[in-house]
Amino acid sequence: MKESINKKPNAFVKFFDKYQTVISILLFFLVWELAVRIFHVSEAFLCTPSSALKHLLFKQPDADYHWKINITCTLYEFLLGFLATAAGGILLSVILVWSKTVQKIVMPLFVFLNSMPIVAITPLLIIWLGYGLHTNIFVAFLASFFPMVINTMAGLNSIDHDLLDLVDYLNASKFQVFWKIRLPNALPYIFSGLKICSTLSVMGVIVGELIASDKGLGYVIANSQKTMDTPPMFASLIMMSLLGWAMYFVVCVLERVCMPWKFVRQKK
Amino acid sequence: MINENKFLKKVRIFFSKYGLTLLAVVVLIVIWQLAVDLLHIKKYVLPSPKLVFESLFGPKAYENHWWKHIGTTVTEVLGSFILTIVLGVLLAVFISWNKWLNRLLMPVIVLFNSIPKIALAPLFLLWFGYGVWPNIWISFMVAFFPVVINTATGLMSVDDDLLDLVNYLDASKAQVFMKIRIPNSLPYVFSAVKMSITMCIVGSIVGEFVASKSGIGFLLRDAQARIDMPTMFACLLVLAVLGMVCFGLLSLCEHLILPWKSNRLEVEA
Amino acid sequence: MKKGFIVILLVLAASVSLFAQGTKEAVATEGQLEHVDLLLNWTIAADHAPFYVALKNGWYKDAGIDLNIIIGQGSGYSVTMIDAGKADIAIADAPVVFKYHEDGADAKIIGTIFDKHPNAMYFYNDTGIKKPQDIVGKTVAVPATDGHKVMWPAFAAMIGVPADSVEFINIDSTAKVSALVSRNADVVFELLTGYPNFAAATDPSTFSYFLWADYGFQCYAHSYITSSKTIAERPEMLKKFLDVTYRAWEYCMNNPEDAIKILAEYQPINITDLVASLKIEQSFIMTDRFKEHGIGYIDPAGIQATYDLVNTYQTELHYDVNEIYDDSFLPEKPYTNF
Repeated sequence: MKESINKKPNAFVKFFDKYQTVISILLFFLVWELAVRIFHVSEAFLCTPSSALKHLLFKQPDADYHWKINITCTLYEFLLGFLATAAGGILLSVILVWSKTVQKIVMPLFVFLNSMPIVAITPLLIIWLGYGLHTNIFVAFLASFFPMVINTMAGLNSIDHDLLDLVDYLNASKFQVFWKIRLPNALPYIFSGLKICSTLSVMGVIVGELIASDKGLGYVIANSQKTMDTPPMFASLIMMSLLGWAMYFVVCVLERVCMPWKFVRQKK
Repeated sequence: MINENKFLKKVRIFFSKYGLTLLAVVVLIVIWQLAVDLLHIKKYVLPSPKLVFESLFGPKAYENHWWKHIGTTVTEVLGSFILTIVLGVLLAVFISWNKWLNRLLMPVIVLFNSIPKIALAPLFLLWFGYGVWPNIWISFMVAFFPVVINTATGLMSVDDDLLDLVNYLDASKAQVFMKIRIPNSLPYVFSAVKMSITMCIVGSIVGEFVASKSGIGFLLRDAQARIDMPTMFACLLVLAVLGMVCFGLLSLCEHLILPWKSNRLEVEA
Repeated sequence: MKKGFIVILLVLAASVSLFAQGTKEAVATEGQLEHVDLLLNWTIAADHAPFYVALKNGWYKDAGIDLNIIIGQGSGYSVTMIDAGKADIAIADAPVVFKYHEDGADAKIIGTIFDKHPNAMYFYNDTGIKKPQDIVGKTVAVPATDGHKVMWPAFAAMIGVPADSVEFINIDSTAKVSALVSRNADVVFELLTGYPNFAAATDPSTFSYFLWADYGFQCYAHSYITSSKTIAERPEMLKKFLDVTYRAWEYCMNNPEDAIKILAEYQPINITDLVASLKIEQSFIMTDRFKEHGIGYIDPAGIQATYDLVNTYQTELHYDVNEIYDDSFLPEKPYTNF
């Protein structure tokens, strides 16, 4: 925006910008807490974030939510699902960009698959794949592979045509072009895709666990839904968002490691 | 004569673009039917294409009241689509205009986006009730957040050099917005619009799963209860076809309004 | 780029080791015990406490069984999975089993759980419902896959109202309580054992219920089912399973608080509500018939009554009534000490 040229941003704005995410989320929780208290909303209708956190951190007299086991289970499924999406997504994109024929055949099928709501497909998946961690990982993969593929393909395709012509003139093989030009060029898009995947994968894992699982944060939500026990529900959702954010952060760190040149220009 | 050639040319172009895909689909259906017949796969594990077709168009198809259910779902999708586009794009514009709004609201919107709305199903029933209008609101809640995020990101990612140039020319903030940002971001808006129709379909199904008296989601659950796999498959097929038809219609609109746009910009899905 | 590759390799190595560790854990539990997949009827409820009591005390292990409990998705799903061979034993509502057997599903009842059917209908007092027949014209919220929905035509015929005289709303199976509390439906169909959930969410004096069994719905309810294939191949396992399970049931009937405490060690359930639920279940299990013949006893007269109910009001049945159950696996020394 225009302000960056002439005005020096004051210290408060700098501080806010640095911790923008955390501050605004904390503000949101504050507003939520106050709204529930001021309007005397019953706990079955909507609980306060403090109540959710209490159920998360302190042992409750009425139920033991086994947070450690459930969080570990969801984390495990999420990590594997995310890795499967990353690896599978990149591999699929490479195949689709390498061969236009395969792309013409497979892409519409992917668009078709992506148009179906995951909640609707999951019961079928349980009948076919059975019940357990692997099904949840597959659901996570299904939920997040499409944006990953789209982004990576866009990256692999978005090369400067002049550069391609030059390299062609120098008689580069298709493989060399791929390895040395397309792939490095696609890195920003791949990381953009990974950032989107980080939230979608955890969403897929939760949906899988909601529908049929006996462990994990989704299962805690399903169990609490029956009794309108909102605090553990929201505690699980908060935990789940934290997982997504953590993975997003990891991807950002990886991005800095893999593409150090991108961040030099940032200091304007 | 010339018109005939033009028509044939269009047909040829269509087939060269989609011919291979159509062939692949046909081959897939044939393999599917053969697999079910030869491997004696049970009806409730994988129904054959023939059974799915019968469930949609066969003599007993009227029992499923397809048109009533499709009608309900389409109504919900259209309703939530309009709401999402109007409110979503509006909010995205505000967020990209005002840096403070961006700082305060974006993280919260991203937070809401990462929560699967089906997890809040019983609360939705409590808060919104059931019926077509509540389902429109539930579907709106599902589609709203990704649309805001994508549109705002697009609106904010205008070429910096272009902005510098215009600043050098002493353009006012409003001028910058009207003459640079909006035309430049129309492609992103259209991308978000196309994405939102898919999300609206997903959202209306989520709403129908929560509580409903009709709709494709209602029929899906009903079929699941009767272990009627052909109908379940048929429902998914209808949903996917609905999604693709809407997507295609919107792509057509985009092509008419933004003929200069290249496909390169379809980055975020 | 090189640094990037190293990072990616490290990540891959970490993920492979994670995966390997996961599969190792899965293998370690098998050993010499006989693996049994038990499919429940829904998510964890009070009537699943016996399994965890027995698991905690090692009774299944002593009998040579390695029990794997799978969360269910309704009685219809249970019958389908048994028929498909994807579970060894399952819990399902008896009338549903009868109905699907007519459609060709291979499932048999080998033991009962409740001696009386706990199907019920809940409603707010101010809807003006004074007797079950007042349900005509009201909206009823029930999940599509719920046993109540399957058996509604039978109950409707029994109380003398047309089956289509109510308006059904399909709700998510987790939304029963919220459907009633939000007054989005006049009536909610749910088991009587779910009463504590409603009582916890709203003032108990504002709503009431009718138990279907009090109005003529006499038939068997939740039962343990298996396929004829399992009966032929693993009869000893079935005998041992039922013996341990009914022994655990006897313990649960005598010590409901302890039983739920043990269940809470395994599952994130609400202790107070489930203790109340288990105490309600006592009235369905501690019946004279069970006291005389043991928990889980299959009374041929009860089976015939269920058969007649389904046949008359639901679907015409064309198989012999003895085909649907096999009581040879019930404990030799019946558990009557309650």
